[in-house]
Amino acid sequence: MLVRDYMTRHPLMADPDMSVVEARRFMGENNLRHLPVVGEGKRLLGLVTRQTLLVDPGRLGSLNVWEIADYLSRLTLKDVMVPADEVITVGPDVPVEEAARTMVEHRVGCLPVVDENIVIGIITEVDLLAHLAEMMAAGVPAVRVTVRMPDVRGELAKLVTAVSAQGWGILALGGAPAPRKPGYWDAVVKIRGIAQKEVVTALSQVEGHEIVDVREA
Amino acid sequence: MATERPGVGSPREVPILRVENLAISYETRYGEVTAVRDVSFEIGRGETLGIVGESGCGKSTVAFGIVNFLGRNGRIVSGRILFQGQDLVGRSERELRRLRGDRIAMVYQDPMQALNPSLRIGDQMAEVLIVHRRMKKDEAEERCIRMLERVYMPDPANVMRRYPHQLSGGQQQRVVIAMALLNDPALLIMDEPSTALDVTVEAAVLDLINDLQEEFDTAIMYISHNLGVIARVSDKVAVMYAGEVVERAAAEEIFLHPSHPYTLGLMRCVPRLGMEKASSYLHPIRGRVPPPNRLPPGCVFEPRCDFARPECAERRPPLKRLTDGHWVRCFFADEVASKGQEALAARWRKEATVHEPQREPTETILTVQDARVYYSVPARRLFSREKPVVKAVDGVSFHVPKQRTLGIVGESGCGKSTLVRAIIGLEKLSGGGMEFMGFDISVPVSKRDLDLIRNIQMVFQNPDATLNPSFTVGFQIARPLRRFRAVPKDRVKDEVIRLLNLMKLDASYYDRLPRQLSGGEKQRVAIARAIAARPELVLCDEPVSALDVSVQAAVLNLLLEVQRELGTTMLFIAHDLSVVRFFCDDIAVMYLGQIVEIGPAEAIYAPPYHPYTEALLSAVPIPDPTAEQRQIRLSGSVPSALNPPSGCRFHTRCPRREWLPDGGRICEVEPPPWQADTEEHRILCHIPLEQLRRMEAVVSEEVRDAG
Repeated sequence: MLVRDYMTRHPLMADPDMSVVEARRFMGENNLRHLPVVGEGKRLLGLVTRQTLLVDPGRLGSLNVWEIADYLSRLTLKDVMVPADEVITVGPDVPVEEAARTMVEHRVGCLPVVDENIVIGIITEVDLLAHLAEMMAAGVPAVRVTVRMPDVRGELAKLVTAVSAQGWGILALGGAPAPRKPGYWDAVVKIRGIAQKEVVTALSQVEGHEIVDVREA
Repeated sequence: MATERPGVGSPREVPILRVENLAISYETRYGEVTAVRDVSFEIGRGETLGIVGESGCGKSTVAFGIVNFLGRNGRIVSGRILFQGQDLVGRSERELRRLRGDRIAMVYQDPMQALNPSLRIGDQMAEVLIVHRRMKKDEAEERCIRMLERVYMPDPANVMRRYPHQLSGGQQQRVVIAMALLNDPALLIMDEPSTALDVTVEAAVLDLINDLQEEFDTAIMYISHNLGVIARVSDKVAVMYAGEVVERAAAEEIFLHPSHPYTLGLMRCVPRLGMEKASSYLHPIRGRVPPPNRLPPGCVFEPRCDFARPECAERRPPLKRLTDGHWVRCFFADEVASKGQEALAARWRKEATVHEPQREPTETILTVQDARVYYSVPARRLFSREKPVVKAVDGVSFHVPKQRTLGIVGESGCGKSTLVRAIIGLEKLSGGGMEFMGFDISVPVSKRDLDLIRNIQMVFQNPDATLNPSFTVGFQIARPLRRFRAVPKDRVKDEVIRLLNLMKLDASYYDRLPRQLSGGEKQRVAIARAIAARPELVLCDEPVSALDVSVQAAVLNLLLEVQRELGTTMLFIAHDLSVVRFFCDDIAVMYLGQIVEIGPAEAIYAPPYHPYTEALLSAVPIPDPTAEQRQIRLSGSVPSALNPPSGCRFHTRCPRREWLPDGGRICEVEPPPWQADTEEHRILCHIPLEQLRRMEAVVSEEVRDAG
């Protein structure tokens, strides 16, 4: 579960001399939101997003219509891109959750994946969400139960033991601190091929645990 | 955990390469000639598109068009080539170089042409990184070593210091592939990358390509004339004919439901592994690929098509959709698809007996007893006592009954050609004896009498090299007739024309020169010349390997007819095991100058196998992606015949050695004994027959039944 496994290899990339007009068309046609700008040897030079392509109206204010056309036609990606030293990047051997944290921290939707400054892929919020969905086995029919337990070592083991005592298999398992309830932990378990009622019966007997949500998912 | 991501992933992924209505033409002295027309296809990330067709169909032209390598006289007339979303057509050289940069790599057929013979492997590989990525030298070298490891190169650090000529063909091709991948290209174009390699090496290279693709997610455009290779590597297949894509579909779909007459024709003209001549007939495609300046007005395939109707000659069929993702350029695709099923099934049916094999024992025509051919090579040291010798053929014994065909198979360098050359008298025997119809033939050809020479004739691999370019076809066929006085002088011309007719060539060929003939026609003339004097024995050294598949089928059928009609005995060398199986009654498998297994064809292709035969069979590419074939790969290359391994010569590469106690110690010290499975089927191996019998068939049972 490293970035290299979830990134998109061989992303679409642009040349620093590409005109902004062409870049807009290129991104539109191919439904791109992020476009790494690379030089010789796929060396990262910068990053273009749809925002960076928006031209500041203030700069055009003093120009007449002919000058605007001329200004736009001369404008290339190297004039508007976020330069490489300001682009947040990630390495291929970083765990995906670290990549997610980096994206949250910097409020960016995509990270170029670089290996010694050479772009080898790109990882976006969609890739990470895909990973999340996969981790939680989204779309696979099963009973999904959320259990709230004290944030103490051994509590999760109690839950897992209770499940395996029934001879059931765990399809997916995830956990996070309980929202607005310090000192507690919420664990989500997906169990396949069993009725919801049976799951509730079995898990409600675990001491100190509370079922906060159960559904067929 | 689910391997695919259900319901997620980008909804509309941009293909790595998208070719739309591409047309390419060349300026020639006949004016502008369109070599490729209306070609469209897509290759996604991590996908392999196989492009298949005979020579002259425009496969390579498409590849060259993509990398703008058409030469001075070639140009893209129309269409778009979208590489990673950006159009490559109509851009300046500089722009192209930047767009394409190091994101497209190519691997060609001959690795020696891609490598600089005067630079060490390490230097030329590292250069890629130093130039493109401005990497430091030691860092670049370290990366190169890691890449060589990835392509399973043994001892990569050592290979880095060698020159290209110090590597075998398979290793060279690995270096080229490693070099192509150094820059992590998005698109890899491979033009017949395994064609020049031995079948076992080819199999290893194809496995490698599959592995690497998974790891690098590279889009691959794979060009080959070999349907079996295409079936093994491709996800999607495009069949090209005369500059057009005539059929395009997912690999399985195209092999199971071929719907264009040409695709069907291609499949019907290759022998499948397990097909035997007693029960089957190859269906060659008549005629040949039209030259691009003389294309038929309607459908390009119409003149050769068995399904053609009048309208086919009038207008060009459009590419139409048959099912999802299956496109065919034929008016009658549905009909072809359904008839095709029958035709393919009929091909594999056993009852359609074309000719009864002669199983009753006949007299032996050729006996080879312990034949040896040694070449002495210059000593390494000036005053060395022993003279090193290459034992090209070392103790080979077999006999060929009259009117039968013995096939000889083995990797290059195993001595099969040397053996044949010794029989015809071009090589001097260093030991042993050979007898032909009771005469001793262990003497060179210069000492043989005329009648003996007349009775042993040969067909070579390359007809260009055997036909004298300055004499007419008629003269060349007449020459043996005159020389051996096979017919009275006044009837020579009639006889030549009769021979031409037998070869399905009409009398008009009498006055033609070899350069006016196609490859297949030349080979037919060469065969006509070989059989002109009615020899008892014809030696065929790879007679069809230089030919296109459709022509190959015609030539094979012709040889079979000749044999049936004249009762000729044949010795047939080929590296293609499906062809050998189809053509021969008996087969000898050779390894490093020795025969390791010999017997009737059907016995060779079923257990018990010699471990080497087993590996050879598992390497044969089968033109059916659903065929189950066990993977047995040999490591390393054939050892030098100068210094063959002790004991069993195959022990250095044998994958079955571990079956013997003590990891097969005995194989290293003791030469293996001959073990007889049946009276005719013998295996040279230490492993007991009972154990060899327990081997699984290489190609799964049901496929063999079907085949």
